[in-house]
Amino acid sequence: MSTLIVISILAIVVLYLGLFKAKQALLPISVLGLVAALALAIMEWNSNAAPIFSGMMHFDNFAVAFSSICIITTILVFLLSKNYFEKISDNVAEYYTLILFALSGIIVMVSYHNLSMLFVGLEIMSVSLYILAGIKRKDFASNEAALKYFLMGAFSTGFLLFGIALIYGASKSFDLAVIAQYVIDRPTGIDPIFYVGLVLMIVGLCFKVGAAPFHFWTPDVYEGAPTLITAFMSTVVKIAGFAAFLRLFSICFAPLQDFWMPTLLVITILTLFVGNITALYQTNFKRMLAFSSISHAGYMLFAIVALGAASTNAIFIYAAAYAVSSITAFAVLMLVKAKTGSENFEDFNGLAKSNPFLAFALTVAMLSFAGIPLTAGFIGKFFVFNAALAQYHTWLVAIAVVNAIIGVFYYFKVIVAMYFKDNQTKQIATPAYFNFVLGVSLIITLVLGIYPSFITNLF
Amino acid sequence: MGLLSILIFVPLLFGLTILLLPKKYSQSYKYFTVAVAVIQLAITAYLYCQFQTGAAFTGVNQLDSYQFKEYLPWIRLDIGKFGALQIDYLLGVDGFSIPLLFLSALVMLIAALSSWEIKENHKGYFSLMMLLNTAIMGVFCALDIFLFYVFYELMLLPLYFLIGIWGGVRREYAAIKFFLYTLLGSVFMLLVIAGLYFSVIDPLTGNHTFNMVHMMNPQNYVPDGIFSFLAHQDILGIPARLLGFIVVFIAFAIKVPIVPFHTWLPDAHVEAPTPISIILAGVLLKVGGYGIIRIAYSIFPDVALNLSFYIGLLGVISILYGAMVALAQTDLKRLIAYSSVSHMGFVLLGLASLTSEGISGAMMQMISHGFLSVMLFFIVGVVYNRVHDRYIYNFRGLATHMPIYTGFVMIAFFASLGLPGFSAFIAEAFSLIGAFNSESVNGLIPRWMAILGSFGILLGAAYLLWTLQRMFFGQLRVKEENWLIKLKDLNVREILTLVPLAFFAILLGVIPSLVFNIINTSVNQFILLFT
Amino acid sequence: MENITSTIQAVPLNHYILLSAIIFTIGVIGVLVRRNAIIIFMSVELMLNAVNLLLAAFSSYSGDASGQVFVFFIMALAAAEVAVGLAIIVMVYRNTSSIDINILNRLKW
Repeated sequence: MSTLIVISILAIVVLYLGLFKAKQALLPISVLGLVAALALAIMEWNSNAAPIFSGMMHFDNFAVAFSSICIITTILVFLLSKNYFEKISDNVAEYYTLILFALSGIIVMVSYHNLSMLFVGLEIMSVSLYILAGIKRKDFASNEAALKYFLMGAFSTGFLLFGIALIYGASKSFDLAVIAQYVIDRPTGIDPIFYVGLVLMIVGLCFKVGAAPFHFWTPDVYEGAPTLITAFMSTVVKIAGFAAFLRLFSICFAPLQDFWMPTLLVITILTLFVGNITALYQTNFKRMLAFSSISHAGYMLFAIVALGAASTNAIFIYAAAYAVSSITAFAVLMLVKAKTGSENFEDFNGLAKSNPFLAFALTVAMLSFAGIPLTAGFIGKFFVFNAALAQYHTWLVAIAVVNAIIGVFYYFKVIVAMYFKDNQTKQIATPAYFNFVLGVSLIITLVLGIYPSFITNLF
Repeated sequence: MGLLSILIFVPLLFGLTILLLPKKYSQSYKYFTVAVAVIQLAITAYLYCQFQTGAAFTGVNQLDSYQFKEYLPWIRLDIGKFGALQIDYLLGVDGFSIPLLFLSALVMLIAALSSWEIKENHKGYFSLMMLLNTAIMGVFCALDIFLFYVFYELMLLPLYFLIGIWGGVRREYAAIKFFLYTLLGSVFMLLVIAGLYFSVIDPLTGNHTFNMVHMMNPQNYVPDGIFSFLAHQDILGIPARLLGFIVVFIAFAIKVPIVPFHTWLPDAHVEAPTPISIILAGVLLKVGGYGIIRIAYSIFPDVALNLSFYIGLLGVISILYGAMVALAQTDLKRLIAYSSVSHMGFVLLGLASLTSEGISGAMMQMISHGFLSVMLFFIVGVVYNRVHDRYIYNFRGLATHMPIYTGFVMIAFFASLGLPGFSAFIAEAFSLIGAFNSESVNGLIPRWMAILGSFGILLGAAYLLWTLQRMFFGQLRVKEENWLIKLKDLNVREILTLVPLAFFAILLGVIPSLVFNIINTSVNQFILLFT
Repeated sequence: MENITSTIQAVPLNHYILLSAIIFTIGVIGVLVRRNAIIIFMSVELMLNAVNLLLAAFSSYSGDASGQVFVFFIMALAAAEVAVGLAIIVMVYRNTSSIDINILNRLKW
């Protein structure tokens, strides 16, 4: 639990550093603090923690695993931020602070044991992100992204809260364990408002993770927000959303699978198709990534639809694979954009010639997205599909496979541009930080793809 | 670390070395590639000589009787009520895989020798080729179906780039078409693999397993598993085992390729550079055939038995259709690509007969076609490298201008059309004998298929001889004057490449027992699956 | 305290649920049909307050204080949201001189 405290204090410390103009210290201190938080989180692994703070939070293995992956991804994002924020504004400390506050909200979201904490965590994260999305004050796209994100976020919070209220009305508690007991005690005759509440919570959470048909804000916000913030939103925030989703459903609502499964099934299929098919038509790389993130949300929903012993593992592996690949993709995008000024596929033409390493890293990331063997993405997809097949969702898996093939089309667009098209561009200078992040992501992707036993046996 | 692992990972190691070497050594990369291929050829030749036959070394569905086995646990995952997920690094060879391993090593050597034509970006080219080499060796050695799948998919990527970067004019189109066709087949196969995994348990540990040898034994299936022999489960209203077989069969049929899944092949061949065409025709098509034998037939023998008629029919259609389309081609490389479709049809026909002769013939056809198609594509490459044109009508009377070349062309053409004394004759004869006997032995496929199949040989003679006549006989005439200077006769490297191929084609035609002896025990064990 | 609880309980629980559902629906419809960012924002607040009402009613009926504590959470966080939200709207207004969300159509697929 010290993780949460460390991150919150770190955020305030960083804010004060900004006040005292210690700009050079911002990045090292943030990263060091996060490393400490990560170490503290990992130390609680297998400590059989009991719910703490009067049953508000529960830092179990699930929470440790997902906190760790979120912290690691945030560190990678920070490493990419060197010299990035300075270009946007003078008040650099606020970026770090806001990201750190969002992260502390995320830690709450993955370790809640009470619905009120789910709400508080979600809000801490969301409010910070509203600001971050709109942080380029003069940039109209950024404005638009912030306003859309804010309105949609607040709207979905309303649904989530109404759902929580109804569930509270039926079960008389916000505590996950009590709600779970309420469901188990009543094989029949659960109060109908409980079901209504459940549906509203699904709607609210689907908004948050960007699942169709509640996805329409995602591409606009992802495209409009500064690239680094988009990277943060599409990795850490999305993973946290799924962790919260999974935690709620696996603890509380597992016995009601017959009720919510068909709903989620429809949402999953829709999400897959909407994400993949619209991604096919994109010419802007960043927007393609936004749509692809919708389709990845669909794959992760899979493991929730087929809720079972393997679900946590499947989502965890998938999330890890997805996070590192996304970071790579956004990192390369930032470099290319800084060079060419736009984000279209053509801007990647000839990258293989001018920057072989960048091109190779991005290729591995795209292959991992597409789920080609020996990359982490393949293992992730394999486990997710396996979880679904174990529950005999053959149809669903067949649809997902068709979607995986559609995915190959658009992921390969950028590979085609890099390797098969020629363009006389000069070499892009890559800062050492970028090379480090790309190298780390590359190694993680390949190692998880070749020898996934590192993390397959965590749960 | 056993010999098979060395065989698989030597190229990977050299590939990494190539990647790390500075650019100024780029002229040495091709020698690295050749060195790797020579090492591999030596290893496979050694394995081939050490390979034992007899009742104790049958292979197929007897895990203990595989040779040069290697085993390492790879991925373990506890998945609740289904026990533990068990994926192993399990290698081994039997009579079906050992000749193909040798063939692959030889083809890789030829491909390396013909890579002299590659002019740009040596580093990328040769390291991708090494990766491809690893994947190919892995596919033929893997006994864990997951491992097999990983290697199988791993073949795709290097090929995609090799065609897409170093290919002809429409290379992007050909590369993505090839990639998507194969991927489409294989991802659905992955679902069947997962289904098989849920149905099969390892008799020793009780875990669910991806071991494909265990999947061949009905007693390892859990009673209510989706692919269980006894449960007769349905998926979407179709019997599960039938569906499983069809999915796997199509995945490999795309690779073979069998009509109507062949349309990627001419495009890929035409656009690919010569060495890649050689690998495509010499090895990759065999991976399809091998997959059908090792996975589709061995794991679903009951379904394969019932569908024999249709599989034989597909084989016959491939033979005739491929040959007829080849007749109509004016691009030499396209003609040879279609002749591959026709020749690989014999593999299917022999296999469908499920007689000892037929299956031996099918195996022989794969090996023989391996040598001959490589030779044919190399021959096309010779002309193309010199004048960058392959249009048949642009050449005439080359026999007097390039006598040595024409000599090799005649060997390759006559061997391909099944002249006695060459390996293709033995292979096609045995396939047809098997198909012909099938009606009296097991009644699986009717005699008219064998008869139609032999028409395929006739058509083959027609298009090959006609091409010979059009391009090599008659008055010397080429499209442009300066071509006559460019069209030099073969150099030493090219002769050295062609000689071993011609040698093997003749050797196996004269002493086919070199192969038959090796594969016989496994073939007989294979047939036992269907009784 | 005693008589507040009994006063609340004088109205049947179903009426509370119905009332909050109606207010919530009005809020949702407001968000969906109105084009003025401020009014959309107010509609969101309406939704949140419907939830507050519902929580208070449930809390009093079940004799469990945690529902009312939750109401405080919602109020506090809604206030934070208002601060940020209004700032964003002001920022948009400065750049575009309008708070009509129809102008937010630059990003489209």
